Amino acid sequence: MIAAILQQLINALTVGAIYALIALGYTMVYGVLKLINFAHSELFMLGAYVSFFAIALLVGPVGGPFAVVALVVVFFATFALVGSLGVVIERVAYRPLRQSSRLAPMLSALGISIILQNGVMLLIGRKPLVYPSIVEVPPIELAGAVLTAKQLLIFVVAVLLMLLLTWFVHGTRLGIRIRAVSESGITAQLLGINIDTTISSIFFLGPGLGAIAGLLYANYYGVAMFNMGFTVGMKAFTAAILGGIGSIPGAMLGGFLLGLLETVGTALLPVASGGLVGPEYRDIFAFLILIVVLIFRPAGLLGESVSEESLVYKKDF
Amino acid sequence: MRNLAKLAAAAGAILLGTSAAWADDIAIGMSGPTSGAEAYFGSTWMNGAELALMEVNKAGGVRGQKLVLVRQDDQGDPKQGTLVAQRFCDDAKMLAVVAHFNSGVTIPASDVYNRCGMPQVTNSSNPKVTAAGYKNLFRPIANDFMQGGLPADYANKVLNAKSAAVVHDKQAFGQGVADVFKDNFGKLGGKITSYSGVSATDVDFSALITKIKGENPEVVYYGGTTPGVALFVKQLRSLGVKSAFFAADPAFLPDFIKTAGPQNAEGALVSFQAPPYDSSPALKGFAEKYKAVWHEDPGSYSAYGYNQAMIIVEAMKRANPLSRENVVAELHKTKYDGLMGPIEFADNGELKQPAIFLYKVAGGEFVLEYPKGSY
Amino acid sequence: MTVGPQRERTIPGRAAGLERDAMLGRLRALGGLACLLAAAVLIVPELGLYSVRIADNVLIYLILATALTTVVGYAGLLDLGFIAFYAIGAYSYGLLASGKFDLHLPFLAIILIGGGLAGVAGVLLGIPVLRLRGDYLAIVTLGFGEIVRLMINNLDAVTNGPQGISRIDPPSLFGHALESPRDFFYFLIPLAMLCFALVYRLEKSTLGLAWAAMREDQDAARGVGINTTAIKLAAFGISATLAGFAGVVFCAFQRFVSPESFTFWESLLIVLIIVIGGMGNLLGVLAGAVTLVVMPELLREYSDYRMLLYGCVLVLVILLRPDGLVPRRYGPEWLVRRLGWK
Repeated sequence: MIAAILQQLINALTVGAIYALIALGYTMVYGVLKLINFAHSELFMLGAYVSFFAIALLVGPVGGPFAVVALVVVFFATFALVGSLGVVIERVAYRPLRQSSRLAPMLSALGISIILQNGVMLLIGRKPLVYPSIVEVPPIELAGAVLTAKQLLIFVVAVLLMLLLTWFVHGTRLGIRIRAVSESGITAQLLGINIDTTISSIFFLGPGLGAIAGLLYANYYGVAMFNMGFTVGMKAFTAAILGGIGSIPGAMLGGFLLGLLETVGTALLPVASGGLVGPEYRDIFAFLILIVVLIFRPAGLLGESVSEESLVYKKDF
Repeated sequence: MRNLAKLAAAAGAILLGTSAAWADDIAIGMSGPTSGAEAYFGSTWMNGAELALMEVNKAGGVRGQKLVLVRQDDQGDPKQGTLVAQRFCDDAKMLAVVAHFNSGVTIPASDVYNRCGMPQVTNSSNPKVTAAGYKNLFRPIANDFMQGGLPADYANKVLNAKSAAVVHDKQAFGQGVADVFKDNFGKLGGKITSYSGVSATDVDFSALITKIKGENPEVVYYGGTTPGVALFVKQLRSLGVKSAFFAADPAFLPDFIKTAGPQNAEGALVSFQAPPYDSSPALKGFAEKYKAVWHEDPGSYSAYGYNQAMIIVEAMKRANPLSRENVVAELHKTKYDGLMGPIEFADNGELKQPAIFLYKVAGGEFVLEYPKGSY
Repeated sequence: MTVGPQRERTIPGRAAGLERDAMLGRLRALGGLACLLAAAVLIVPELGLYSVRIADNVLIYLILATALTTVVGYAGLLDLGFIAFYAIGAYSYGLLASGKFDLHLPFLAIILIGGGLAGVAGVLLGIPVLRLRGDYLAIVTLGFGEIVRLMINNLDAVTNGPQGISRIDPPSLFGHALESPRDFFYFLIPLAMLCFALVYRLEKSTLGLAWAAMREDQDAARGVGINTTAIKLAAFGISATLAGFAGVVFCAFQRFVSPESFTFWESLLIVLIIVIGGMGNLLGVLAGAVTLVVMPELLREYSDYRMLLYGCVLVLVILLRPDGLVPRRYGPEWLVRRLGWK
């Protein structure tokens, strides 16, 4: 019994860490532009594809003790490449629409998402890529539960990146600027902050983190598909809302919480309902919790507890 | 105003309708998902059919006329399926279709095909597809009753298993075969420890598997497509569940073994409608030809697509004069010895003698397991 | 929005003549509209069934987008789960006119039932989300849409789950069976016109003005005594009812219904139609529905590149015309004026 509970906890944390990493990208963009960036899920997918080819290019030929160095290079290359693409997308598809109604950039993002997904499908192929297993480490037994090295990697990297990001937005000038712009773009501009470069930096970091999530995800599950982003992206976005969109710690909390909710929904619902409700109600359960949370805390769990009025962006659409 | 004019012009262009085939060619329509989640299955299935037409054209076509395969993407969406069906129907050169891939698309589209008398050969295995009793609809593959029934038989008679956990992906196909397995296994006296639905796009089954592990079933049946099924067995084994594992025909792919990892896929039992690719020279030759043309291994349904196109071609060769009506009549008389053995249709368009085989993964390859000795 | 006729009437001696002019103008306008409509009704059915079927789809999406315009365009509430109401309408027909429960109610009755059920669902969704604004509202509606789809997929005993309901009765109207796409075209034209007229009248009504006030400033609206709770629920209820109608017709048209038709993507498509067309402008909705339903069919010539091109066109249109294809000033009034309504 204890083994099963521990195992479920490990399962939940692994999925949750991935959700959290992706949710960060949604939340950072939303915090500044109030934009639901539908293209983010495809940047997550690109992270898996870019790293796949980077590994084939770098790790394969190098081999031996240098493989670890090559892996680190793959890591940074994936982050940088997908991050740069994020900056380009913002420049081309969102910036011209900054003065338009808020729905315009959202639907532009949707278009970009269709382009990226179908572009990858046509360019690389419809067949799921079998992601190489680089380092084979035997799994660790923990009181009857199994913890694999890949799960550990996901967890460690995700937490490390989140700590880094927290330090970045609180301890560096650029980070402080990002927070200022997200607080109020106009005020920040009046104080001499260059909004464009700040937004560009957000569109580098968010997609970069999403790409690393894609790498970890593909490495853990062993496959990459051109359509892998949609579902995961929607869940990560839900996680961001659950935690309070715009809030960085909120995204992390929301991610882990959603991972936990899904695990509970799969494992506990059938038992609790005496077999009446199967695991297929998992997503319904998660959405219901989300709705209940939003009804009682309309700004999400860690969303800024400001008065309702400042939540309203008048002339929304 | 200019925009309106442009729109009108665009609308006008579609209304004129452009035919994909040349004047003397015979068109065969084919439609399935070639974008979205099932794009790989749909496109490799179509590649199989295209290969058939290439061969026929090289050999002179049908009475000197070349055959053209008109591919259309239906995205697995019923609404688009009926649009494609209407498009095919309106094209006078279109004399038969291989359509569609998903049962949910085939059922509404078959109404449309029926109304224009289009010979329709389908790849959808849901039993309901032939329920309307349309005379122009043919299904040269075994339906879900066979596909889910054989594994239940095997689990009971050969493995002597008394308990099974059933998982499906909540799609028409996956749940369909899982239901049949569940019913048959139950009728044979087995106990179903749990019956669970996952989502078709899921990749993480660890929570469900941890729960199944607690039930300790002798058999785990998974109804669903790849890569879900491969990831399921991978996580099943890495979480230490040793039960016998059954999967349906989408798993009959080298990639299933590759994605799951050979050590995890080892021993997995997969049902498929054809004898092994290396069992008959015809199938072996097909795999080689396919690879030469498309530069990749055939997909799960490529051989089905080839067969379906060939059945139509054979009927067209006999139909005189060539018309939709005559092709339907000739399809009823089909006696074709295809890649998967002889094909003959019953009055309702179903196979007279549907066949299904059970393969076992051994040493990273599919080896025929049950019934032995029929080929 | 001119007060033209009244002003002219203040000159007593010429009033009668001007009134006659106005009447003539109106007749001309009505005649013009009738001609446009007649052209559509006469030409489209002659174009081959494929085109007629596309036109049917355009009309169904036109009804959906017109309905959603009340919520998003007029009341300013972003609804990302709108397809749920369409699904409720569609399943109403699927369950009440098929062998599933051996119920075979008449088509028109089910249209009313389906619309009613969807409307009730709309109000029920409205109640818990009254406090939410902006994107939080959008997410809750998204969640609602997904919950409805998943419930349909899970409740096998009622809905057949992923297998869907097949062998649905062909609808009949006063003894005439609606079977071919042409029959549906003739049925959908008046239905779409009715929805169109209803929503158009709503925009000009007190309720429409209250929506506009709430959209622009909720607190000010409340301040002048508008019951924002009631008008929000009205927006949800009315739009859901119209979507329910569309759903019933869709199901009767396909004679098959399964959860695949009601994905999140479909909800997005309807939002796309109203944004691409021009938010809050009914002529824009028409343009958007035509563009987004016809374009993917036009792109069929490009087979594999179809969806890629679709994405490109989408981004380009939004970048070039962020406020929609039809600017707000070219609304239905503009069309009527152009046709001579003084």
